Amino acid sequence: MPPASNRALPTKEAKLFREVLNLYENRQLKNGLKTADQILKKFPEHGETLCMKGLILTHMGRREEGIELVKKGMRSDLTSHICWHVFGLIQKGEKNYEEALKSYTQALRFDKENLNILRDSAHLQTQLRLYDGLVDTRHTLLRLRPTLRQSWIGLVVAYHLNGNLDEARKILEQYEAVLKNVPDYDVEHSEVLLYHVHLLEEMGEASEALTFLDINAKSRAIVDRVAIMEYRARLMSTLKMVEAEGAWRNLIEQNPDSYAYYKGYLSNNGIDLDAISEDTRDKALQILQQFSVAIPQAAAPKRLALNIVDGGRFKELATAYVTAGIEKGVPSLFADLKALYRDPAKRQTIQDIVESLCEKLAVTAEPPKGCEPTMYLWTLYFLAQHYSSLSDNVRALELLDLSITHTPTLPELYAFKGRVLKRCGDPFGAAQCLDEARVLDLQDRFLNTKCAKYRLRAGVIDEASDILGLFTKKDAASPGADLEDMQSLLYLTEEADAHLRNGNLGMALKKYSAVQKVFNEFEDDQFDFHGYSLRRFTINIYLDMISWEDRLRSHPAYVHTAINASKIWVQLHDDPSIAKSKLAGGGPGDAEKKAKNKAKKAAKKVKEEVKKTAATTSTNEDKGLEPQPAKDDDPTGSKLLQASDPLERAAKLVAPLHTLAADNINAWITIYDVSVRRKKYLQAVKALNSAHTLDAEHAELHLRLAHFRHTLSSAPQTPPEPMGSVVKDAVAKLLPENLSIEHFNAQYLQKHSGDGRAILASAKVSRLLGAPMDQVESSVFSVFNPDASLDIKTALDALGFLQEQQSSRADEFRQGCDSRFERSTVFKNRSERATLRWNAAESEAVNGGVEKPEVAG
Amino acid sequence: MNIRLARVDDLPGMQACNLQNLPENYTMKYYLYHILTWPQLSYVAEDENGRIVGYILAKMEEDLAEGEEPHGHVTSISVLRSYRRLGLAKRLMVQSQEAMATVFKASYVSLHVRKSNRAALSLYRDTLGFTVKDIEKKYYADGEDAYAMRLSLKELAQ
Repeated sequence: MPPASNRALPTKEAKLFREVLNLYENRQLKNGLKTADQILKKFPEHGETLCMKGLILTHMGRREEGIELVKKGMRSDLTSHICWHVFGLIQKGEKNYEEALKSYTQALRFDKENLNILRDSAHLQTQLRLYDGLVDTRHTLLRLRPTLRQSWIGLVVAYHLNGNLDEARKILEQYEAVLKNVPDYDVEHSEVLLYHVHLLEEMGEASEALTFLDINAKSRAIVDRVAIMEYRARLMSTLKMVEAEGAWRNLIEQNPDSYAYYKGYLSNNGIDLDAISEDTRDKALQILQQFSVAIPQAAAPKRLALNIVDGGRFKELATAYVTAGIEKGVPSLFADLKALYRDPAKRQTIQDIVESLCEKLAVTAEPPKGCEPTMYLWTLYFLAQHYSSLSDNVRALELLDLSITHTPTLPELYAFKGRVLKRCGDPFGAAQCLDEARVLDLQDRFLNTKCAKYRLRAGVIDEASDILGLFTKKDAASPGADLEDMQSLLYLTEEADAHLRNGNLGMALKKYSAVQKVFNEFEDDQFDFHGYSLRRFTINIYLDMISWEDRLRSHPAYVHTAINASKIWVQLHDDPSIAKSKLAGGGPGDAEKKAKNKAKKAAKKVKEEVKKTAATTSTNEDKGLEPQPAKDDDPTGSKLLQASDPLERAAKLVAPLHTLAADNINAWITIYDVSVRRKKYLQAVKALNSAHTLDAEHAELHLRLAHFRHTLSSAPQTPPEPMGSVVKDAVAKLLPENLSIEHFNAQYLQKHSGDGRAILASAKVSRLLGAPMDQVESSVFSVFNPDASLDIKTALDALGFLQEQQSSRADEFRQGCDSRFERSTVFKNRSERATLRWNAAESEAVNGGVEKPEVAG
Repeated sequence: MNIRLARVDDLPGMQACNLQNLPENYTMKYYLYHILTWPQLSYVAEDENGRIVGYILAKMEEDLAEGEEPHGHVTSISVLRSYRRLGLAKRLMVQSQEAMATVFKASYVSLHVRKSNRAALSLYRDTLGFTVKDIEKKYYADGEDAYAMRLSLKELAQ
């Protein structure tokens, strides 16, 4: 394409245009704007100037106007690299990386060797994981700027990311060969050399890696001592060298609390610490004890020994370990030892040790000579945790009451009492306990967070916010807004779950999507480092970051919230009237109003902030190219509830789970729920298969298998070929064709008649197949059979199911649960729970700054 | 507890630990900036389940005045309340300090603490051996003053 006929400017204006570019580079926005206007006065259609003016305006915060001008400029000059570059910058600012890359590619068509555009393209290609293209771009950059160190490293990294380690190594070696004048003690160069070692190790060239490491460590070109020691130990072990043992010992002396170093030392001696056998036990123990003696302050060898030792020796070592912990008053002692409880013999031994210690301390009114008076207290605390973990919560509460009488000022005791009550199904009592713990140390944010979390668990959301607000920024729109800005996954997840339990689906969706937003931010965060890390030469850790980003959404908070939000979307799809009823005041009307008021207040605060900053800053201020965060136009989540595409939203949420949560059965169940409704039957059957591999007898899976067969057989048409037969065959493998669903369900129930979850699942299947309600009800009630196991969660699910089916026996079921779970409060009736909630939200003592929390009506 | 160099995939755990313990919080990008610039300086303590129960997030001072010696800075250090009395903070600090001294030839390490935070002050002064060097007026966003504290690393440097 020829250049636009109106691109060339007369000398004077051409000079002005170069000035605009310069002023922009130096972010002299105000002058840049003025100069651009000078050109436009004479040449109002000049595309490149229009684009530059638009870009400058965008930086100045006049976004809409700016983008309008950029588009206008584009239209009048489609073959200018400047116009495409500007457009690409705007798209990049909007984090629309795909489109930005397209614009950059266009720009490069008209200016093939523009360094800025090439570099930006490389960053976009990395962000989008387009590694073939990245290698090409980095090649071009190296050809254009062979004297720049980062041109070489850029290409090496590109090859590495693209999986071509041989080429990465070749380029790296060329680079090292031509490199001149490396200053002494250069940390950046040291990092490059460490990457070289890492690369060789990854390529399986241990011997070359070690030689390279030794040469460069000796010459002090590699300066990171710990890294040198770690690579040496590992490589020497791989090469089965006698010096390996010494290398591991050096590491242990450097950091005697690193588990990995002991594992390395033992593994070098042919001992796998995670799979101790009769042949290796004694030797492993001997080695760990030697280290314990040589480095008495090290905790790791003492703790690791407890993992591998057994019998009488265990009792001996455990006694010393437990006694030391209790003497010191280590609050985490139980949490530390709990992993040993997988072995029932060890569990019993620990119980015996602590019980006998407790007895000894209890009889003497005066503590034995040399003993702290708090020893008795920590013994009681340990035992309470011990018995609670064995589900003996009655004993745990007795012990806690005893210890609180002994020392009424230790927050840990109240905090743990809260946890026990939570386990008993009393979230209200639990929240009260946590408040008691909190007021014993008002400066401690840990207790504050725990207290707020327990309030959320009890469903008192506003009152939780009051507590959180004691530590969040005072100028934030609300405590929640600060925690959201600070990316608190704990807060967002807990509040979303609380809304869900309260039946406020809109707010739950809103908070779940805030979690998704945090993960999007984490993903965007890497962008700047694609350039930054090359300049810093920290290659190894940069490659780690890339692979972390690739697995980002395997984080439990993502998985949990994606599953829960998808369940809501599925619910809204199945019954769109839910959204209407929630909006028509069927939901918590007052809460809705309150939320709106709160949002209004918050908005006002933000507005004032904006005004303040606007008043104090000059127009030269660079606001960047990222859009300002949009105003919250959905403070109650009611717009989310009315979304027209609930299933598509759910599908997007669960998409990463296929690969990143492949071992999570609930993820597969949710993927099934979404897929089957979208009529993606292949995906649905694949999800069932994956769930089946993880746990063939899982109650939720049973329900889905029946649901799938039912859905297929009641569909007006079979799915089209060839999909139809594939799906049919796959289902037949999970649920044989000659077996009716009724039969399948009866078999399942018979097999698991002692499992409350299975009983509930089978009742749900009966309902699905159209069984009469009274029959379904009596199936559900069989969870009360004396030989059936029933936990609180299953009981709540069952109650929810009965209520959803508008069963006339729901209240009877509730009362049954209430007497079954003695200390629970979640099965109290509505008015009883309102009172309890009121109590839970009340603060025992409140420090000066806090208002008395409002009480929800 | 296992004490080891922080990895990139520890950062969400460190951020969560920080939010639970301290009033000074940071977004993920700031954590990334630390670990991608000074991958040698940040350490974590993890429990038997791999949960981060303590961390030190550290850096080198970047804007050195003419003639000023290189020195490290602790951006944040904390241990969950339920994991105290194990000496974790000290163990974390020691590892980070050694790396500052040996990799970057830091001559001292500095940190800031809120004037009102008596618990932290006593940790830094009594347990970790820092001394108060200065008071920085209105250091924190809410207007509170900070103690600027220092610990010499001269003995560690080689």
